[in-house]
Amino acid sequence: MANVVDAAGEPIPTSSVLMSAAKHIEIKCMPENVEFLKCKKKDPNPEKCLDQGRQATRCALGVLKDLYHRCKDPMEGYVGCMYYYTDEFDLCRKQQQAFEKACPLE
Amino acid sequence: MTESVIRNKPGMASVKDMPVLQDGPPPGGFAPVRYARRIPNKGPSAMAIFLAAFGAFSYGMYQVGQGNKIRRALKEEKFAARRAILPVLQAEEDERFVKEWKKYLEYEAEVMKDVPGWKVGENVYNSGKWMPPATGELRPEVW
Repeated sequence: MANVVDAAGEPIPTSSVLMSAAKHIEIKCMPENVEFLKCKKKDPNPEKCLDQGRQATRCALGVLKDLYHRCKDPMEGYVGCMYYYTDEFDLCRKQQQAFEKACPLE
Repeated sequence: MTESVIRNKPGMASVKDMPVLQDGPPPGGFAPVRYARRIPNKGPSAMAIFLAAFGAFSYGMYQVGQGNKIRRALKEEKFAARRAILPVLQAEEDERFVKEWKKYLEYEAEVMKDVPGWKVGENVYNSGKWMPPATGELRPEVW
């Protein structure tokens, strides 16, 4: 359950993976996310916002893949720690520092 | 008999002349014993005690404030992470919902095809806004 990618190399968006990469996703996918939220605010109908949703998902999965390729080991350590402690940031500070040193947020 | 043997005074005429054998104070009397209260009146004054208590209290409240700031920062971190991944999760659920909704509309058209005047598909509220379907069902395999 604490894998970042499955057998084919595609990132698995589980909660521990998403929460670990959340700070990166927040920065890199800000435009897509904002577009999706604006569309939702205008009309909560799911059928109307499928496009923006697909863009947001594509962006987030792209971020996950990119992070996995750039720093595999710190990311796997961080995701494993988050999985063990159920996404509690305060209990995974060591792995978080290692991960952010290897793949810094810009 | 023994009393007169113990308390004998030579030249006693009768028992009435026996010297008295009493337990008494030593010659010169005992030393004086202090029995008066002497609670000392030194130490911190009332104002000093009050200021010390007030100081301890305000230091404690200051530490409480600092701790609250730290906890708020931790909570903000958690909420910011949740806000960042919200669109991904909602988009995933939207895809799944649209698929299921299409299946349901086909089923409804199938069931109601012989009913005259039934506009198949969306016949929910009249406000014009989209509302999620109120089936009231619990799906434990998803939750």
